[in-house]
Amino acid sequence: MKTKKYKLKNLMRSIISVIMITLYSCGDYFDVTDNPSLVSDPNINGMVSTATFRAAHNSYNIAYITSHYSQYVASATAGSSSDTYEETNNYAVWDAMFFAMSDLYDLITKADEQQAHHHKAIGQTLLAYQLGLVADTWGNAPYTEAFGKVNTLQPKYDDEETLYNEQNLLLDEAIDNFKKENSFPFSTTADLIHGQDIDKWLKTAYALKARVLNKISKKSTYNPKDVLAALDKSYTSNNDNAGMSTFKGINQWAAVARDNENLILHGWLSSNFIDHLNGTKYGVEDPRIKFITEKTIDGNIYIGTRNGEGNIGSNTARDECYISRKSPLTSDDSPIIIVSYAETKMIEAEAALRANDKARAYKAYTDGIKAHFELLGVSNDETEEYLNRENVAVGENALSLAEIFKEKYVITYLNAEAWNDLRRYDYQHKDFLMPVNAKLDDFIRRVAHPSTERAKNGDNVPPAVPLDTHLWWDKN
Amino acid sequence: MKKLMIQTMAILWLFTLCVDVHAQTRTVKGQVVDNLGNPLPNVSVSVKGTNIGTTSDAQGVFEVRASANNSLILSSVGFVTKEVELKSQNNIRIILTRSDEALDEVVVTALGIQRSERSLGYSAQTVSSESLNVNKQSNVVNALQGKVSGVTITSTGGAPGQGASIQIRGINSIDPSRDNNPLFVIDGVLMDNSTSVTGNRASERGISNRAIDINPDDIETMNVLKGGAATALYGLRGANGVIIITTKSGKEGKMKINLSSVAGFENPNKLPELQDVYTQGWAYEYDPHSFWPAFGPKISEAKVIDPDHPDKLRNHFKDAFDTGNQFKNSVNFSGGNQNANYLVSLSQLHSKGIMPGTDFKNLSGRINTNFEASEKLKFAASMSANNSGGLRGRSERFMEQLVYWSHRHNVRDNIFLENGTPGGYSNDNVNPLAQSLSNKFKDDVLRFIGSFNTSYKPLDWLDFNYRIGVDMYRDNRSMTAPGMQGLPGEYTLSNNGISDAPAMGIVGVYDSKFRTINSTFIANITKEFDNDLTATLRLGHDLYDKHLISQNTEGGDLTVYNWFNLSNAKIINASTTGQTYRLMGTFAELALNYKNFLFLNITGRNDITSTLMKPNNSFFYPSITSSWIFSDHMQDQELLSYGKLRLSYAKIGKDAQPYSTITGFTTYQNLPTEYTGFTRAGLLGDPELRPEFTNTYEAGIELRFMNGTLGLDATYYHSTSKDQIIRTPVTATTGYVNAAINAGDMQNQGMEISVDAHPIKNETFGWNTAVNFSMNRNKVLSLYEGLSEILVAEQSGYLSSNIQMKLIPGESYGVLYGRALKRYYSPDEIAAGMDKSADIDKNRPLLINQNGFPVLESASDKKKLGNVQPRWIGGWSNSFFYKNLSLDILMDARIGQDRYNKLDNHLASFGYPKYTLNRDDYKVFDGLLQDGSTNTKEVWLGQGVDPKTGTNYGNGYYRDLYRGVSEYFVEDASWVKLRSVSINYSFPKKWLGNNQIIKNMNVGITGNNLAMWTKYSGLDPENTTTNSGSNIEAFAGMTYPAVRSFLFNLNIGF
Repeated sequence: MKTKKYKLKNLMRSIISVIMITLYSCGDYFDVTDNPSLVSDPNINGMVSTATFRAAHNSYNIAYITSHYSQYVASATAGSSSDTYEETNNYAVWDAMFFAMSDLYDLITKADEQQAHHHKAIGQTLLAYQLGLVADTWGNAPYTEAFGKVNTLQPKYDDEETLYNEQNLLLDEAIDNFKKENSFPFSTTADLIHGQDIDKWLKTAYALKARVLNKISKKSTYNPKDVLAALDKSYTSNNDNAGMSTFKGINQWAAVARDNENLILHGWLSSNFIDHLNGTKYGVEDPRIKFITEKTIDGNIYIGTRNGEGNIGSNTARDECYISRKSPLTSDDSPIIIVSYAETKMIEAEAALRANDKARAYKAYTDGIKAHFELLGVSNDETEEYLNRENVAVGENALSLAEIFKEKYVITYLNAEAWNDLRRYDYQHKDFLMPVNAKLDDFIRRVAHPSTERAKNGDNVPPAVPLDTHLWWDKN
Repeated sequence: MKKLMIQTMAILWLFTLCVDVHAQTRTVKGQVVDNLGNPLPNVSVSVKGTNIGTTSDAQGVFEVRASANNSLILSSVGFVTKEVELKSQNNIRIILTRSDEALDEVVVTALGIQRSERSLGYSAQTVSSESLNVNKQSNVVNALQGKVSGVTITSTGGAPGQGASIQIRGINSIDPSRDNNPLFVIDGVLMDNSTSVTGNRASERGISNRAIDINPDDIETMNVLKGGAATALYGLRGANGVIIITTKSGKEGKMKINLSSVAGFENPNKLPELQDVYTQGWAYEYDPHSFWPAFGPKISEAKVIDPDHPDKLRNHFKDAFDTGNQFKNSVNFSGGNQNANYLVSLSQLHSKGIMPGTDFKNLSGRINTNFEASEKLKFAASMSANNSGGLRGRSERFMEQLVYWSHRHNVRDNIFLENGTPGGYSNDNVNPLAQSLSNKFKDDVLRFIGSFNTSYKPLDWLDFNYRIGVDMYRDNRSMTAPGMQGLPGEYTLSNNGISDAPAMGIVGVYDSKFRTINSTFIANITKEFDNDLTATLRLGHDLYDKHLISQNTEGGDLTVYNWFNLSNAKIINASTTGQTYRLMGTFAELALNYKNFLFLNITGRNDITSTLMKPNNSFFYPSITSSWIFSDHMQDQELLSYGKLRLSYAKIGKDAQPYSTITGFTTYQNLPTEYTGFTRAGLLGDPELRPEFTNTYEAGIELRFMNGTLGLDATYYHSTSKDQIIRTPVTATTGYVNAAINAGDMQNQGMEISVDAHPIKNETFGWNTAVNFSMNRNKVLSLYEGLSEILVAEQSGYLSSNIQMKLIPGESYGVLYGRALKRYYSPDEIAAGMDKSADIDKNRPLLINQNGFPVLESASDKKKLGNVQPRWIGGWSNSFFYKNLSLDILMDARIGQDRYNKLDNHLASFGYPKYTLNRDDYKVFDGLLQDGSTNTKEVWLGQGVDPKTGTNYGNGYYRDLYRGVSEYFVEDASWVKLRSVSINYSFPKKWLGNNQIIKNMNVGITGNNLAMWTKYSGLDPENTTTNSGSNIEAFAGMTYPAVRSFLFNLNIGF
């Protein structure tokens, strides 16, 4: 018995020592952190590629929502929630915006570490742009605690004025950084917007700055001179336009048109927009319409879909107009335009008009029209004819916001900026109709925060308000 | 590794040569009977000290050759093994007694430890080879269906080789991305049973769960360990329960050869019924090219316009499916002597599915050997290799395309045109079969599972056991789909292209490599004390090392439309994913046995895992179980012959999913091929994650009456998981999709009852019956603070009637939400917010609009419509034999569950269901107007302008309202099934000739899925659109239809 006990003890000791040795030597064995699908130190050129792609893609994403409100498009089904001003849960776009901004934040941080001023400036420019898209759509949003800047899973929301000031700040910093000497070389395919042309980027930063400054036209702090000063350093031709035409596949709007061909129905053009162009509202057909959409199969005319009413017909054929893959704005390889020369000319016209510089305003107005006709490829004759029309060639003294906004509405086709303009202009376009069966008594002024956001960060999302509640910049 | 394989194989082959044949002296004939004189068939009879052996036939008769100084050993499950000295008798009658031993079978428990059934303090259920294979299922998971309590099995569809999922005692994790499938262990090796959805739309293609690689014919027993106490020694890997598979091994005696063949055919068991009155067109206007398949006029009106219109409308769902078939051939060789035995098996399965363009094959082989070097030293090795895979179709898309197809046209005509482009009757209605036949996704798995086991017993109170096993496979998948030829008028198949270039062709290569190594060491020390107490101490060490890498390249937009070469693709998408996971456990167990009626087991295990960071990566948890055979204290055991009480408590730890502690960047996938961008990866890792723990309490009772004629086993369990490690969805404003955190508590409790009875058992006739019943109740106790719900899954429906499955604290897992009709609430009730409740008050009248139609709730205001989890599940098996004929009947049921029927949502939108025949009728909807008055307005259910009133009803009731009401499409999906009926006939020995070359032979026929009773209107509600690795069973709409199969089998033993 004794010997047995002794043996047992020995045995236990050896087993335990084997186990201990295994444990000890396995110290690193359990340290597994190399996930093959993750990279811990990405390069900033690749981050610029993502940033520039996402900025344009999000421009499309936001416009996809707000184009129902600016009534460029209408749903093919009657009573669609976006057409009739119901609350919608646009979580996918909200998420895409914040993922893009998080990437931009990481780009800015990394570029700063590497003293890559121009990379950083691109990040700041686009962050300002994306932040503007969010604020102009939903209002309040997380920024100071967002993107992991603060260690929280439930970032607090910043008010609209803070977000507005941040945009200005970011653009000012970007402009400073673009002016610095570049120390970190770009790779040849890094920048999908301006192809590493920093002069163009600087102009774009000024164009966005002008947009931001002009947005507070209803505020007492609005200063048209600042807007004009920024525009002085901005675009000089269509060649400067900030657009992105690098797609895996085709342009997103063209993909919408392709969906229609495959019976996934969206991208039907609103009757408000079609009637703006086809002569219904202004007597004569705008020559640009044939460069924007195609005639319907019935009657060889342009017919729009009334928002809220849905498509009339079986909607499996082009019995009403939709986005065209033949338009230079929405063809398979057209760029998605973030901000254009034509738009900056209209901002200039508006700011100059508000600053009472009528000559500058009128010149900018006609230059803007010409630029847009040129971009679409309208013939010189037709351009001339248009510019001489009675309701276009109103003359320096008669020029009013009505003409400027009327033109700008066409120029910003499928651009998110259009809805900002409509709200600043209080939807005063000629015969601009409310949607059929709208859930609001008046035009929509904001988008509800996504309900998924309320489920995930409910303590911080601001209380819901009616969707005709004006945003901060949309009131005095 | 390769070297090891070759060496082991060589050794094993040597073993098989060791079988020698002894000389025999004379023939001894005998009969085995029980103590009532009933003959006992299938009793194993062996001549002691030799490899000679046989089994008794149906009359209990056997013949062996032996000499006078030999003795015979007779053994049979349920009887005391008996040794009989032969002396000079040539004809003997042997009585085997049922004894307490019969009620004390040996059960394989955690880590292969064999324990007496009496000593188990938890519920464990064993399924024998016969029971498992009675209905000839090729997937072992399917084979378990209805046979074990507490186990929910879902065959996701009827495709050949389609995955089946298995859950033991419900869902255990709040994290929807975590695997809830139990751990599979085969011959001591942890076996992967994942369902990989790598590759083009693979999650929609019914990919196999990897347990399909096991040939069910090779299985001797399957033991199901359900609760924490049962699985405690497996540690965290066993947190969802464990299925222990023991494969067959050779028996001492001459080489036996067994051949078996199965051949069968199958058809869909349930397809939608279609209205056959209204034909193709829109708003009663006929058009043979219309996109709208069934909103046209009646046949007679169409025939006036189109003389070619058929007299009858078809049911093209029935036309579209083939008759499937399957063939399986297997052979095994086994034998051995007293020192070594072997079993070699080979099998080959080929099956063709009912959906055109789907098939599956499986070729597998196995070698199992045991070798005794001495009394003290034993070895065992088992190896299996198999090659499986096939063409996997996109069944959901196929069903959807069938909805769009008009039953005016024969779907079997015009599949492809002569030039090879897809047929159909318009570009919007391309023949669905063209898609299913040209969109080819194929998997090809080559797998090896091997284990080597050695045990050394130097002293009678001490033994050591060491086992090493590997499970490795490569899974090569490929995808091809032709692009457009560019011919004028060519129809497009948008799915034959990647999302960035629809219809333009696909060529894809997706290669995965998987490898695990698993090593287990156990030392057993047993001590018998004088006072009737026996103690066993086990100490052990367990290591699991897993490595997985997957390289995927997919090309789209082919230049030459049918040249499937990656260099022919204009767009290339590539990705690499992988995983390394390591886990080490050290454990101890103390088992105490007092006088063989009171048992106590205490275990403790410490795990070190690679998925958590130091020091949180090492954690300990204990379990304690006890059992008491109270019947041992009873004087009279006439009625109650066996009674046992069980109690157990276990705490089980669980680690995180790999890489939950780290955060990084990944490539941004939306950029074109020549660009590389980076973006934040979706997961915010937390280096501080802690292990989660589940506490499980279990109590049970086992009773056997009248010498085992009737048995009852009942279990109650309650488990709570606290502080679960979950990848919780977080607001995108953080820059992440998910964050790995410790948060959320979940609880499961339930009951399991099994009853078995052998009411009749005599020489010519016998009847055994067994019933399994179980229920589980789940509750989400809490989520991360500030998070009010988790959206687990969503499936679309028309008019924003999408169905969501959400986790909300206080509710159970699996609640479905969707768009309901508004009920009437008075202004006061609305002011009190009563209409905001997520529950639908079905007693309230509907709210009716001024236009006379009911009103939809807004799309964002979703109501609770049902629950996916069943109230209870059950199985009932019966087996009868009459002389040489046997009949096995298996029924099972799942009651009190709901499913979303997306197929009906689509069919309603396209005018197909029979209930849409009222489309020409007038109706006054029951309900109240906003002002509280009763609705009296009559409305027309048709499309366009009502001929009676002139009112324009637009697209009609079914398109403008009905299809948006989720309430109509979340249905009670309870079912009861006649799962299988098998009839087998074994040929009497005398028919097989005197030369005994053929030892036994039987033929049989099995019908599977023969009948179903359900209120569910869609396809078989057991199926799901999700794959077998998913925890989401909510969607039974457009799936691969389940099949009813008839299988003929032939077994011959040599």
